[in-house]
Amino acid sequence: MSTTLTRAIVTADKEGRPRLLGRRGPDTPTRHGLKVRNRRETATGYTFLLPWMIGFLGLTLGPMIYSLYLAFTKYNLFTEPEFIGLDNFVRMFTEDPQYIQSVQITLVYVLIGTPIKLAAALAVAMLLNYRDRGSTFFRSSFYAPSLIGASVSVAIVWRAMFSTDGPVDNTLSFFGIEIGGWVGNVALVLPMMILLAVWQFGAPMVIFLAGLKQVPRELYEAAEVDGAGPIRKFRSVTFPMLSSVIFFNLLLELINAFQVFASAYIISNGSGGPAGMTNFYTVYLYKRGFADLQMGYAAAMAWVLVIVVAIIAAILFKTQKSWVHYAGDNR
Amino acid sequence: MSTSTSEIARPEFLEIELDQKPVERRRIKRKTINTIIWFVVLAALTAIVLYPLVWLFIATFKPSSEFGQNPGLIPDNPTIDNYFKVLEGIAGVPLWRFFANSTFIAVMAVIGTLFSSALAAYAFARVQFKGVGILFAAMIGTLLLPFHVVIIPQYIMFQKLELVDTYWPLILPKFLATEAFFVFLIVQFIRNIPRDMDEAARIDGAGHWRTFFSIILPLIKPALITSAIFTFIWTWNDFLGPLLYVNSPEQYPLPVALRLYNDQTSTSDYGATVAVSFLALLPILIFFIVFQRFLVDGVATQGLKG
Amino acid sequence: MFNIRTRRAALAAAAVTASAALVLTGCSGGSEPAATYDPDEEVTLNLAFWGNDVRADLYDQAIAAFNEEYPNITVNSSFLGFPEFWEKRQTEAAGGGLPDVMQFDYSYLRQYSENGLLLDLEPYLGNIIDTEPLSEQILGIGVVNGETTGIPTSTNAWGMFTNPVLLEQAGVEDFAGGSWEDYNDWMAEVTEASGGEVYGGTDWTGRIQNFEIQQRAGGDDLFTDEGEPNFTEEDLAAFWEQGDSIREDGTVISQQELEEIYPVSGFDAAKTASELTWDNFGAGYLGNLGEGYTELGLIAPPVTEEGAKDLYLKPSMLHSIAATTDHPEAAATLVNFLVNSPEAGAIFGTNRGLPASETMLEGAELDPLGEQIRAYEESISDRLGDAPPVPIVGYGTLEEKFRQLGTELGFGTLTVDEAVSQFFSEMDVVLNQ
Repeated sequence: MSTTLTRAIVTADKEGRPRLLGRRGPDTPTRHGLKVRNRRETATGYTFLLPWMIGFLGLTLGPMIYSLYLAFTKYNLFTEPEFIGLDNFVRMFTEDPQYIQSVQITLVYVLIGTPIKLAAALAVAMLLNYRDRGSTFFRSSFYAPSLIGASVSVAIVWRAMFSTDGPVDNTLSFFGIEIGGWVGNVALVLPMMILLAVWQFGAPMVIFLAGLKQVPRELYEAAEVDGAGPIRKFRSVTFPMLSSVIFFNLLLELINAFQVFASAYIISNGSGGPAGMTNFYTVYLYKRGFADLQMGYAAAMAWVLVIVVAIIAAILFKTQKSWVHYAGDNR
Repeated sequence: MSTSTSEIARPEFLEIELDQKPVERRRIKRKTINTIIWFVVLAALTAIVLYPLVWLFIATFKPSSEFGQNPGLIPDNPTIDNYFKVLEGIAGVPLWRFFANSTFIAVMAVIGTLFSSALAAYAFARVQFKGVGILFAAMIGTLLLPFHVVIIPQYIMFQKLELVDTYWPLILPKFLATEAFFVFLIVQFIRNIPRDMDEAARIDGAGHWRTFFSIILPLIKPALITSAIFTFIWTWNDFLGPLLYVNSPEQYPLPVALRLYNDQTSTSDYGATVAVSFLALLPILIFFIVFQRFLVDGVATQGLKG
Repeated sequence: MFNIRTRRAALAAAAVTASAALVLTGCSGGSEPAATYDPDEEVTLNLAFWGNDVRADLYDQAIAAFNEEYPNITVNSSFLGFPEFWEKRQTEAAGGGLPDVMQFDYSYLRQYSENGLLLDLEPYLGNIIDTEPLSEQILGIGVVNGETTGIPTSTNAWGMFTNPVLLEQAGVEDFAGGSWEDYNDWMAEVTEASGGEVYGGTDWTGRIQNFEIQQRAGGDDLFTDEGEPNFTEEDLAAFWEQGDSIREDGTVISQQELEEIYPVSGFDAAKTASELTWDNFGAGYLGNLGEGYTELGLIAPPVTEEGAKDLYLKPSMLHSIAATTDHPEAAATLVNFLVNSPEAGAIFGTNRGLPASETMLEGAELDPLGEQIRAYEESISDRLGDAPPVPIVGYGTLEEKFRQLGTELGFGTLTVDEAVSQFFSEMDVVLNQ
């Protein structure tokens, strides 16, 4: 057995194909060798994957499937779930104005908040990456707001910033914009929540920074030799080299924004107010599930969200080919 | 890195092309101006970003009664009592105990996450085995479900395993890479490493394990550092997990303990609340400051040359 | 002391005979478990309560006192804030792991009782749990569908706090009582006298309890014994419309200002001179008002109809035992200590509200605030009627919905009619869940 394996590798090497798994292209090694190697790859793959598999099958998958089942039931946590077919979904889309409102504000939050947050994170990461010396302090400062946990302190601080005669109001007044406090203004609560998300842009920023560290300096130097300006350097070096990380941040920030919970819950003390303007999708879901004990309805809401986000994720994965560059994927 | 390379390069440049000195001086001058602009822009942004935290810090010196009554930055009657109050601990449990609990959980979580996520990520990114596509999709899928709907079944599971009121429900999942965020993050970084390196190793007869440990791990240091930082901070701040799985107050980590200062049905001590949340911020800030240094030594370049 | 006894006597005319009967049935029912129960057995109980660190210290002292008497019962206590406490209980209830003894809230009592999560205390009443110091009416509060699943530790009643400092500054006398219109006029007077610096009060139509006492003045509880709503859309619309004028003319603090001072209320922040709420909120208000405040006014809510029994005593909290407990007798012993013993009274004072049990009340040394609450509850005895049925499942949801609709009325984002129809459709969902 072991000799066969060795030969398989050797053969492959002799053919000058460093890609050991000739999945694509016609010039793959012999069928027999491939099979053996495949089997060995599969065994190795699953060994590496073992902890994850145990976690997935043991801790995650069961509860996920159970929640999918609950979506078709009426379940108050204490008595056995009662199967009610599609009733939860019907109620969601036809009889629940709160649900519709929560979808609307969540979409606004996702579509406006995510791009701003990512742009801010990328811009600051690039600024920080410009120079290492002296940027330690700045880097820590920019990350600091993301460190603060979901405690009532966040609500206290953020409300103070946006109250009448608070710093934001005063600054805007200085520029002649008199809109008063944001906290008690139904129309401005959502922008306030978006700004809270943008303020906590530390996580994608750090990931961008880590990604920028992976970009070989030589590429910039080469581009400079070619006389590239900053914009061209960004377009032809930074963006492609960072695209895998941009893709990651984009996908994850979208998912996170759709699931925004802690900040809104804390700011509104769990009420989703004022006037439902912080009643984001997951806040509402949580209220229905845990406060109102309509866990079946909450599960149905959760799975609608899963499907929507899965579609978005699938589209993003499809578009990857045209803009995401993986240095490790031979094309 | 950028400055050090160009600093080394510059003297050579000067020596060789003496006649172009004015151009070079202009370049240096431009560089200085750029640095000044860079500094000013960052300083201004920092001021904006840090202002709320400064406000929070100063608010820790407000007596409780000023919350709601004095929205300004400066306390009317500054006091340090909030800190004394907080340092007393809660119900006979000293404050350091909560810090120690949080630290223990967070450190274990970092070890577990790094270990299990890096392994899984390598499999997804570098090993081509049957079912990789489906499993990868499944992993991404676990990110999509709002976690609130799996709380109950997961609790029942840990209850059946008799692990409630231990730290196991908080730590075990980390060793099993249940946070797909980190697996996916590391996958992205591994996929961005050119294959030349590990393929060279493969030709030398190295198997996946050796490739993983001696080639890939060093190359994804920035991703590992990032994962370590996030795991530590997110675990430190996690509230719901410990709330559900830890029963005795002396086992509470900080976020749960922190809420004990404001119970809306009795008296809420907002002064103590902000003081303790500020104190809770310090260890993770220090953790971040220490660990982010490793992000600076970009390991990527040394491996990617050639 | 004498007065409070007369009050109780007045409240439940049949109390004496009824409790005697209860003690008898209790004895007969309880003789069996008491026989097999070994009081010296080494057991460990889990005790869960909500509260802050002050209350936690008190519980620690109480447990220490309990252990002097029962050294064989080890009590592990755990505590959380109110919302977290219930978040955790809901999960445990679903998973089947509730703590042995719990501090319990009235609004969850029906839900947990009807689902068989709480132990029926009937067998222990009159033997392990002393029923002598608890009036029939108090014991009746914890009865759901014929089963006693909770023993009230303390009671509270709806009342109105006023801020003496603000009133003095404004030069307005404390509210002298009267109708809801009188109250509105009084608030307007305060707001005007202070030059708009502070307000007479908060829009009281945002609280479901004010609706409830108005309905009770007409003889109707909000919900029937069967859990059916006992009011019409017109009733609710008429109620909310009473707030139209005070919202519009700026008599009450605006919703916008309330949002800005969150997490504290207008009354906490010394922005309003009066607040209708439960009478045990005084300590919290004093704490948040801070220096310069040693006392508050506590007076009866406005009168809807003279002579009506619109107010009632509600348990501020109860003690319950999980149905799954392995040591029901030991748990009952602990509950008895926590609700009845003079030691517990001495330790807790009025921290959990005005003690409901006479023996506990005797042990309690009431602070000025406690005395004030006691005096208040005596003063309203004419208006105290029977407590409404134990709140329906989902009452908390409706109460919160009511409050939210009130804020929307304050913002002007909804009309009264829209609010009414939203409330009724929410009620539909809750009642059919």
